[in-house]
Amino acid sequence: MVYTRKDVSTLTRSERHRFVNALLEVKRRGEYDEFVRTHIEYYRSDGEIGLRVAHMAPTFLPWHRKFLLDLEEALRRVDDSVTVPYWDWTRNRGTTAVPWTADLLGGTGRRSDRQVMTGPFAFRNGQWPIEVGITDTEFLTRDLGRSRDPIALPRAGDLERALDDPVYDAAPWNSTSAKGFRNKLEGWGPGRGAVSWLTHNRVHRWVGGHMVGGASVNDPVFWMHHAFVDLLWSRWQRRHPNARYLPVKPPALGNPQRGRVVARHEPMPPWDVTPDSLEDLSGIYRYA
Amino acid sequence: MAALGMTPAPFLVASRSAGAEETRFDETYRGRRIVGVRHDDGPSGGGAFGTWHVAVDGRPLHLMRRADGSWMSMVDHYQSYETPLAAARAAVDELGPTAQLGAPGDRSSRTEDSRTPSGCEGAERDHRRGVHA
Repeated sequence: MVYTRKDVSTLTRSERHRFVNALLEVKRRGEYDEFVRTHIEYYRSDGEIGLRVAHMAPTFLPWHRKFLLDLEEALRRVDDSVTVPYWDWTRNRGTTAVPWTADLLGGTGRRSDRQVMTGPFAFRNGQWPIEVGITDTEFLTRDLGRSRDPIALPRAGDLERALDDPVYDAAPWNSTSAKGFRNKLEGWGPGRGAVSWLTHNRVHRWVGGHMVGGASVNDPVFWMHHAFVDLLWSRWQRRHPNARYLPVKPPALGNPQRGRVVARHEPMPPWDVTPDSLEDLSGIYRYA
Repeated sequence: MAALGMTPAPFLVASRSAGAEETRFDETYRGRRIVGVRHDDGPSGGGAFGTWHVAVDGRPLHLMRRADGSWMSMVDHYQSYETPLAAARAAVDELGPTAQLGAPGDRSSRTEDSRTPSGCEGAERDHRRGVHA
């Protein structure tokens, strides 16, 4: 039975309630923090040695697709009516509109310490303590729009640059790849500072607080953001029906990227699945 | 699904020489002490590699190298900086006035030995606890 992931701005009051409750229950069961750990564990940068799968790599999209699917399965074990909604940040751009309402994710953090004070994930409600992180902060933090030096969310026009690229990814298969849909969507731009934060990366910065660090999964907006990124991959596939995941084969002997990226038919840790097997999941879910 | 068969991300980052002659920094930035020490005994390749130990208030800051030679930290994962010092300052900006590196709940269990003068040995232990708490 194919289920539907909806635009978060279209959820009914009951759907919002059930989504939030499923998240809180997955957290209560201790399953949620495993997702936070995994994301920290797998954040490898491309100037280091070893295999990269989650970021700065062709598998950025299939890795997060599978990660999202695992979280969604955990939510659906609690309530099988729940799916992960997507946040279209090209349309829902306000700091007080959806998804930042008191019945969904709550609002931005307070000025003094960026602590989220409203909504179900506020520390004072006792249901969303931060248990896994890289600082000693025990409450969820945000700084929507980056108040100390404001930036804007990406616009639809910014996405066109990525969606128009007919090639999935290109050598050297990392954060310096100037061509290819994957890096244009992941958002490692040339240069330094705000001009170099594009698309996916820029949204992490716009939300701020936990979303800027390795423990970004602590903010449940992580899933809505990545559901939209995943939708954009599907949209790109429809626009370029003959384009596939690249690379097809592992980089050749002597290539510095050999052993550092996953080719189309190789297993992608921590799962025993290949990028090939994740390119078309239309038998599991679709986007409304 | 967590961490199957993966070794923990190393605290020491293998990297090419930054080109600059600097091998250490020690400053107070926005009230935080930032210490960085470069070692040239990297794990592979010998002289062309250097590794940096960086600590904020005596607690380790895990730096990662990007392919373009810039640096990023665990606190600030979606952009990178020209130097380890710039990455450390940006991490302080991101920490804000009250947060410390470590793991949630560390505040009550902090001990003196996690604040060695170099900010390295005790801090490394803390770092691992932080990542794998």
